[in-house]
Amino acid sequence: MEELLNSKVKNPRGIPQAPFVEKVDEYVKTSDDFDKVMQLFQERLQQYKYMEQSKINAQAQFMKKIPEIEESLRMVRFLKEKNESQESIDTNYELNETLYTTATIEPTDKVMLWLGADIMLEYPIDEAEELLVEKLSTAKTNLEISEEDAEFLRENITTMEVNTARLYNWDVERRKKERLAEEGAKNLRI
Amino acid sequence: MELLPEGQQNQVEVLFSDQQKINEFSKLIQRKDKLTSILEKQNQEKEYLDDVSMEIELLDEDELVNYKISSAFVKLRQEEVVERLEKDTQLVETEIEALQDKLSTIESRLSELKTDLYTKFGKNINLER
Repeated sequence: MEELLNSKVKNPRGIPQAPFVEKVDEYVKTSDDFDKVMQLFQERLQQYKYMEQSKINAQAQFMKKIPEIEESLRMVRFLKEKNESQESIDTNYELNETLYTTATIEPTDKVMLWLGADIMLEYPIDEAEELLVEKLSTAKTNLEISEEDAEFLRENITTMEVNTARLYNWDVERRKKERLAEEGAKNLRI
Repeated sequence: MELLPEGQQNQVEVLFSDQQKINEFSKLIQRKDKLTSILEKQNQEKEYLDDVSMEIELLDEDELVNYKISSAFVKLRQEEVVERLEKDTQLVETEIEALQDKLSTIESRLSELKTDLYTKFGKNINLER
């Protein structure tokens, strides 16, 4: 019965596809079977749901990160242009939330990039641009992957829910038949 | 949700291929919702850009304008800001077109699936909101 869930079909990240139960009778013969299969299905459903949630969280993170990188990239490109034309720029920059102050930026060919973990590193402007472009495309690819995974999981959750419903209906039918048989036996007069 | 009348069985059997269609349908609906909300945001952005492009025409070419990049405002001549705004608008427009393309592809696939599923299941399935 376990092999029911060991599908050969997997998505590119190795998430196994849910089995589709067309006929419950092929897998379940007795009420012991029923309990076992039901439990397996529930477990798998939980796993899918858990994974889906983590993929959705990952998506949210990338959705936040991508605009940030894009903004940095805009600024880097702006500074690069101004360096090429050797113009200095007056700016109002954010010193703290709701607090802005004025500064003049001389033409520069170097920028500092915040790398995280309290580290800032100085880069030649071209290299900084390159690095940000690369980071941006990685983030976009990762976003696509997690979207794809979340969709795949969603599909499998639907399949598993249908399976569970089928299994449940099968059991209801079985109980009904049993009850009828019992009643039939009681009313039987010999 | 309506229940089937007592004693009546649902006669149409759901095959794996049907299940796949149902799954695809639900996946596409979700994708459509997501893209629609992004499209709304971009349309809003486009409106803002249009408004600001109109307003800025009222200023003198040599006047300095605070143009926002990331969290900082840089002081640029009106002329330059106009140029930058044009570029920004173009970018947003390209984005909007791409989104609309994607949405219409999804839309046509959805109606294909709808026809298939309704043909097979009739009143036993509800694909509307």
